Amino acid sequence: MAKRGKLDIMRDILKIIRENKNLIKPTPLLRKSNLSSASFQEYFSELLEKGFIREIEDKNGKSIGLTDKGFRFLERYQTIISFIDEFEL
Amino acid sequence: MPGPPIGKFLVGGIGIELVYSFIIIICSLMIYFATKEMDKLTSYKGIKYFRLAFLFFALAYFFRYFIQFFLFSFNLNGILEFSPMFFGAIQLLIFLYFSSMAIFFLLYSVMWKKWNHSKLTIVLFNIFALIIAFASIFFRGIFVYLTINIILLLVVLFILFIAHKNSKKKSKSGSPFIIYLLLSIFWILNITNILIPRFLSIYQLLVYLVSVLLFMLILYKVLRKTGD
Repeated sequence: MAKRGKLDIMRDILKIIRENKNLIKPTPLLRKSNLSSASFQEYFSELLEKGFIREIEDKNGKSIGLTDKGFRFLERYQTIISFIDEFEL
Repeated sequence: MPGPPIGKFLVGGIGIELVYSFIIIICSLMIYFATKEMDKLTSYKGIKYFRLAFLFFALAYFFRYFIQFFLFSFNLNGILEFSPMFFGAIQLLIFLYFSSMAIFFLLYSVMWKKWNHSKLTIVLFNIFALIIAFASIFFRGIFVYLTINIILLLVVLFILFIAHKNSKKKSKSGSPFIIYLLLSIFWILNITNILIPRFLSIYQLLVYLVSVLLFMLILYKVLRKTGD
């Protein structure tokens, strides 16, 4: 299996959240992302910082959901990858 | 009070140069803005440097011809008349700096993964671009200009060739290596065109035509891929 690139991993994490009706707890997200704890934390922080995901606090604890920017990233992902491949960037 | 002598300015081939630089600036800026969202969404270094390359092309061509038109339009041609030689030298210096930076960024957009990404690389690009620009101004000989730029072109082409040969990802719709190669050649042709002014008007027109077609081709490829 080919090694996932940074953008692929970001896409995978965002996709997991979207497929869980846009609300998932951090532990199942870590499990489903197939990343080490340290790597997951790194990507999680970056996604938060970029404004792709948001943390939602409710009576059941902390959950994670996508922001509009996160949805937009998923929407544009194929275009972005295709552009990068086209110009070998 | 009579207006600025734009009509006089536009005769003698300057009009063609103005249209030429205008097309290059528009194409470059369209590429820059069409890729803005992708850059913002991903912060992907390759896209960032690719965009910067075209921003620098736009700046280079603004300072090459367009600034004169700008000064004439706003009746500031006194700046030009104050010391045409000084203004010409500054204009050439800025053009050479920005166009060298554009080529370096284009090169870096395909090489950033292989070269250890650091701020030092960008600093080195700036230093090299400044050396090229100042050397071209101070050693006012065509031989020096051409030697510097041909050496640089060969280095760029060699790096691009190696990068393309080792690239695992191959573009499905024709290799971008051809475009990068043509862009590098375009760069050297434009420099010879500036350094040997009025060499051959047919040669000049050919350089303009090939350059415009090349930029339009890249713009087409970018717009097709970005879906804008």
